[in-house]
Amino acid sequence: MATRHLDSIAAERLGDDEQERTLVLAAQRGDAGALRELYHAYRDRVWSLVMYSVGDFHLAQDVLQTVFLKVFRGLKDFRFQSSLATWIYRIAHNECQEHHRRHRTPHVPLETILGSSSEIDTRPILDDQHAHRERQLIIQRALMQLSLKLRTVIVLKYVEGLTYQEMSRVLGCAPGTVASRLNRALAELEERLRPFRGIM
Amino acid sequence: MTCWRFRLRRKFVPYIEGDLQPKDVKQVEEHLLDCEWCRAVLVRLRAGHQMAEELRHFTSDAEHPEFEAVLADAGGTRVGRRARGAVWEAGLDGLATPRVVEVLTILVIVQLALLVFSNRSVLFGARYRIAVKPAALNLSEFRQLDIRELRSNTQPHVATDGYVREVHTDEEEGTVHFKLVEDAQGSGPFVICEIMSEQAEVPREGSHVRVYGVARYDAQTNRNWYEVNPVLNIALLKN
Repeated sequence: MATRHLDSIAAERLGDDEQERTLVLAAQRGDAGALRELYHAYRDRVWSLVMYSVGDFHLAQDVLQTVFLKVFRGLKDFRFQSSLATWIYRIAHNECQEHHRRHRTPHVPLETILGSSSEIDTRPILDDQHAHRERQLIIQRALMQLSLKLRTVIVLKYVEGLTYQEMSRVLGCAPGTVASRLNRALAELEERLRPFRGIM
Repeated sequence: MTCWRFRLRRKFVPYIEGDLQPKDVKQVEEHLLDCEWCRAVLVRLRAGHQMAEELRHFTSDAEHPEFEAVLADAGGTRVGRRARGAVWEAGLDGLATPRVVEVLTILVIVQLALLVFSNRSVLFGARYRIAVKPAALNLSEFRQLDIRELRSNTQPHVATDGYVREVHTDEEEGTVHFKLVEDAQGSGPFVICEIMSEQAEVPREGSHVRVYGVARYDAQTNRNWYEVNPVLNIALLKN
């Protein structure tokens, strides 16, 4: 997926930045309709980040609820110094980290979930769509085996389409650090998927 | 052999995506021609990148009654477990008397003053680091010292000779550290050297070098050692 700029994604959803600003100002005045609209504009995007971070539907629901509670409570202090999307992603990222600290999940090797490459049926699958879904699933599961730090940088770039600059604001580190972390994450993802490359 | 050009490697993903400026493309490609290590890294990154591109949003069409509760909560209707937050907030409101606010303000000011005082070396060090312009370096102005003499040194700019040991790179931080020891066997006093830019080339393990840089003491727990940080120049005495 080509990298898409956050503002352009926000513009797709909300018309343009000015409309979003109007919406935020209305929400800051306590307009429940504006809050609802912001919630619907950002819920699915934050949902992906949270799901990839938490890995469990019900826990992710709980985290998402807390994220939006913090967004709505903090919105009155939002001064447009960053884009709204970056600000919301940052809250979501912090909440995922907090959740991770509280509920450290045991490491499950990918082979335990999928079986080793020698156990997998390597016969070609006739249904291309099904094969594509299987492939996505394998990659998703491999991603879930990475540390939260490495997983997050891949999700922000490849799923959410953030630029290095935007990622650095969300993660609170320099763009150079983001780039190095991304290199490490991609190298680790490649390593975890290497046993499956022959069948993917 | 390990390649230390980690700053250049940060451009590999944009290079794969075709997002680099022509001059950066040229720089990357010229390096790749000569560096087997980085070619191998690029192959791995390209494979990882292609796989990561297939990742998609998690979508959920399920009903989210809990989210509606968040909206209601934000609108002032406290529900379920969030109601406990309201009780706390009410308690905090009761504490917000002018006297309490005044005492808290004084406490914050005192804390800030202590924080600045206790970290003054770090703060001044950071300012000093920014002030250094490697291009304007006059190496004759650096005070030449043995490693063991660093403990009695008061000059910020020093030059010291030694043998390079334990080269370590931190790609995320963008730094390279190595241990500079006084004798070739590695015994005796040492100083930790940190390279923060690619202007100083990373020396080979075991080489005999003269390191120019800023002397400082790292007082963190389990460290308590002298450093040349940042290293501003390295002269090779014997490879």
